[in-house]
Amino acid sequence: MRYRIAALAVIAVAAWLLPYGLDSYAIHVVNIILIFSILAVGLGLCMGIGGQVNLAQVAFFGVGAYATAILTTKAGWGFWVSAVLAVAATVVMGLLVGTPALRVQSHYLGIVTLGLALAFTNWVTNAQIAGGAEGISAIPVPTIPGVDLSSEYLYYYLELIIFAVTLAFGLFIVRTALGRRMRAMRDDALAAGSLGAEVPVLRMTAFLLASIYGGIAGVLYAGLIRYVAPESFSIANMFLLLAMVIIGGRQSLVGCVAGAVVLYLVRELLVDYPTAAQIGYGSVVVLVVVFAPTGLAGLPPRIRQALRRRRGGAGEAARLGEFRPYEAVEAAAGDEPILVADAISMHFRGLKALDDVSLSVDPGEIRGIVGPNGSGKTTLFNVISGLYRPTRGRVRFRGRDATGLAPYRLARAGMSRTFQNLRLFGDLTVEENVLVALDRHATWQSWRYVGRPISVLRRDRDLHRRAGEVLDRYGLREFAALPPKSLPYGIQRRVEIARAMAAAPALLLLDEPAAGLNGEEVRQLSEIVRSIRDSGVTVIVIEHNMGLVMSLCERITVLASGKVIAEGLPAEVAQNPAVIEAYLGDSMSSDDLPTLPEVAR
Amino acid sequence: MQVFFQTIIGGVSLGAIYALVALGFSLVYRTMGLVNFAHGNVVTVGAYLASTFYLTAKLPFAVAMVVAIVVTAAIGLVIERVLRPLENRDFDLMLIGTIGFGIVLDALVIMIWGATGRAVPSPVQTAPLSLFGLRIRTYDLVVLAIAAVATVLLVLFLSRTKRGAAMQAVAMDHEAATAVGIHVGRSNAIAFMIGAGLAALAGGLVGPLLYVNPALGGTLGIKGFAAAILGGFGSIPGAIVGGLAIGILDSFTAGHFQGYSELVTFLVFTVIIMIRPTGVFGERTVNRA
Amino acid sequence: MTALSVEGLTVHYGGVCAVRDLSFEVPAGEAIGVIGANGAGKTSTLKAVMGLIPRKVGKLRLGDLDLSRTSSRDMVRHGIGYVPEGRHVFAGLPVEKNLLLGAYARKWNAETRATLAEVYELFPVLGEMRHRLAGALSGGQQQMLAIGRALMSRPRLLLLDEPSMGLSPKLVEDILAVLLRLRGEGLSLLLVEQNAKLTFEATSSCLVVENGEVAMRDTSEKLRHDPRVRQIYLGL
Repeated sequence: MRYRIAALAVIAVAAWLLPYGLDSYAIHVVNIILIFSILAVGLGLCMGIGGQVNLAQVAFFGVGAYATAILTTKAGWGFWVSAVLAVAATVVMGLLVGTPALRVQSHYLGIVTLGLALAFTNWVTNAQIAGGAEGISAIPVPTIPGVDLSSEYLYYYLELIIFAVTLAFGLFIVRTALGRRMRAMRDDALAAGSLGAEVPVLRMTAFLLASIYGGIAGVLYAGLIRYVAPESFSIANMFLLLAMVIIGGRQSLVGCVAGAVVLYLVRELLVDYPTAAQIGYGSVVVLVVVFAPTGLAGLPPRIRQALRRRRGGAGEAARLGEFRPYEAVEAAAGDEPILVADAISMHFRGLKALDDVSLSVDPGEIRGIVGPNGSGKTTLFNVISGLYRPTRGRVRFRGRDATGLAPYRLARAGMSRTFQNLRLFGDLTVEENVLVALDRHATWQSWRYVGRPISVLRRDRDLHRRAGEVLDRYGLREFAALPPKSLPYGIQRRVEIARAMAAAPALLLLDEPAAGLNGEEVRQLSEIVRSIRDSGVTVIVIEHNMGLVMSLCERITVLASGKVIAEGLPAEVAQNPAVIEAYLGDSMSSDDLPTLPEVAR
Repeated sequence: MQVFFQTIIGGVSLGAIYALVALGFSLVYRTMGLVNFAHGNVVTVGAYLASTFYLTAKLPFAVAMVVAIVVTAAIGLVIERVLRPLENRDFDLMLIGTIGFGIVLDALVIMIWGATGRAVPSPVQTAPLSLFGLRIRTYDLVVLAIAAVATVLLVLFLSRTKRGAAMQAVAMDHEAATAVGIHVGRSNAIAFMIGAGLAALAGGLVGPLLYVNPALGGTLGIKGFAAAILGGFGSIPGAIVGGLAIGILDSFTAGHFQGYSELVTFLVFTVIIMIRPTGVFGERTVNRA
Repeated sequence: MTALSVEGLTVHYGGVCAVRDLSFEVPAGEAIGVIGANGAGKTSTLKAVMGLIPRKVGKLRLGDLDLSRTSSRDMVRHGIGYVPEGRHVFAGLPVEKNLLLGAYARKWNAETRATLAEVYELFPVLGEMRHRLAGALSGGQQQMLAIGRALMSRPRLLLLDEPSMGLSPKLVEDILAVLLRLRGEGLSLLLVEQNAKLTFEATSSCLVVENGEVAMRDTSEKLRHDPRVRQIYLGL
């Protein structure tokens, strides 16, 4: 920590002294680099952190610059008033460009944003108010009493301060709740949604941030060059910007800045050979994508890892701790079922995955859902948790109609789930996975980042403390800082349950929690699930491991070919001929079925 | 009414070009699930190659086109080979990789042919036809005919040949395709080659219609891509319908909004995509991303 | 005479060992079953034999042929047919194209036509639906298509991964009848299944795998009545 502060101080002093060593052309280059750095940070937040493909960043830049130019020269307003309005205009534009992200993703989003960026260039080249192809010149010098900003040396300090603030703000977001949620959405939007992250709001937030940074960069550009023309905001510059972010490392804001600096310097060095420079950075983009997807920012960790490997396994391997049971509570006496599925049918292009399935689960119950592979169990979970809207039928959760509600709404209403194939956020640590689930604040409250940053920090510290408690309870403390993919399968399963429970649900859906676990792990799992139920949470579990189901569940529902073929106490179900026929094949006649194992209930 | 039909006719020939570009996009997407953002730049390269062989090397137009197609197909092969490690792994990274190739190709075009454009005279010198009082340029008919032939050939290739069936199988399930003995990498390489060839065909044909310049492919690429999405990404009839639709939309917006035509076209496109992300003919491919 | 012999097969997924040092043989003309709970490593075993996932293998021989370094797409050329779990038909192509692609590794000629006719004879429903898109077939029909597709390569050994998955008992019976018939025609089978009945009736002997290792191996007849199987297999 002390080391870091010292390094930061050295960088700050160096940045402050930098102009003393530079001629007037060099300081101009530095000023442009700072503007590109701000743009790159914005793009990094949107694409790298939020996972939203945004090829309109250069248009945001343009809107900011043009709005400043138009408001100062045509409307005759002061620079700073115009600047504020320009950023506001960019934000409006950002939200408009981001709207398609609610419907489409990936390459679709790429083409839509690229199209809208082209639409912008098309507008400014034609619109009279934007000065057409000639652009707008004679933008007034921004004024600060006592400082002559027409000097590029002094302008540098203005930019430096704004850059430092915006970078710090970006890092602040990335390292706290909002950024964590955005990264979770980037890694797995589906899992993030089922943990209560409002995916649509987060996508818009990504574009909002990108546009704010674009707008600020645009204002600074207008004030620096005092002339705007369409070609500064061309698609070629968009791709340059993209290259900066990719080469620098899109998931790290500092990497984005590094990319901007390096690429712009290279371009400046090769200013007499612009096409050669372009071939160079284009090729580097291709190479980075294929060989080092994390970019420049990914190099230090890689080197560190390689060094550690060479030194050999010095550190102690993390160990899984004991699960500490929840405190049991008296079951709340409610006669109303917590979940009712009423005549659910789910058809996929002619295939009836679910056919008239009804199910009612009482509070405090552990319900098992079993059935052969492909009998529709997971589809039923997906309908209940809002991932699918059923073709027919209704779902009621805690007394309210919940049919087809967005997963994040159901999550906020108290439903939590795990996934058959584990959907942990791969680029987040174990602790961050838990933190995402713990955080129950609505994303719109993120205005606090601007208004009350201290309260954000305080809240984050509180989240970390609670995450520590969850990790302790599940014996995962030693894995807190590790990426989940590096862990053994059984531990990943436990992390997923811990994450689902961190969301403090009333109903927990477990999809094949024992798959891939060994005998001892299965025993621990059954202990965990029972303790979860004792803490007042209703549990529905899909499972193939019949031993676990039989010993754990109070009631069992059996699905086959999308229909409920039996429901009842484990002992009843196990003797039901239809179940034996469907599930085990009829050679397993009921009399050679083993008696129920004597596991303590 | 007369003006209305004349506007449509004006849009059809460019629409056919967009359709060819869209076909290239769709074919590559259909067979390997990749969106090739360098496709537009390949169109530019094709346009320059065709015009160079035609104007400078004085080859007949058709021969010039064939040579251009062969050269660009080779470029397609290179792109596929380099990005192969990412196939079936990271969609977004591969997308960015193709953008990287686009940047390189863009610079190569400027390096070889310069930043200024060139006009290509129409290889068909006959006077425009007149039909029910509508003027139809003969070269437009040539473009339409070639585009139609190319589409038919592509459809026949995909539906009638072993290789064509195999290429589609790869897109539907690469693991099952491997298990029946299909070389997935080779199949993808061929898809990329044909895609690039289609781009060159579009570029060569568009030369006499528009001014050949380094930015040509950017516009064509984006509109072709928009056409592919509009029709339903990966669908061949969709590419044709989408291409013609964008061409006609272009023609109308050019008539009504002059300089702002691009703005209006992209806004309309954005709205359509928001209403129906799967396009006209698309349904199942949309979730692949 | 053995059709397939595997020694020391190991598969790692990420940091997880899915299959550990597995060895087994499929005698020529016989059917061997692999059973075990979900996640025990059954599917990984088949995929690893096909080379569809990264694996380490000491010995992998088909008859006298060493296949340990053969790429997955060439397996079929040496006579291994593969029916993947979850069917994986080429949904957007017609039934007949799916079948013909099964013979991709061979020349499409009169012999292919003859094989096609045999497959249609084995599965008459596929003949009736030959021009339908595979994705529009029911689950059972898709399963038949997947088996038919694998047969089109005229394999010596057929690997089947959960052919009963998601099928009704009646359809499982149909699949069983087909497997018995194929076995009768001299084809060697390696069957990975969850359905105990199907496996025990279709095969002569079985491996029971647990956590990626062989827990038991014996004749199907004996395993069928062995209480320990139920313990491992059903986790009781």
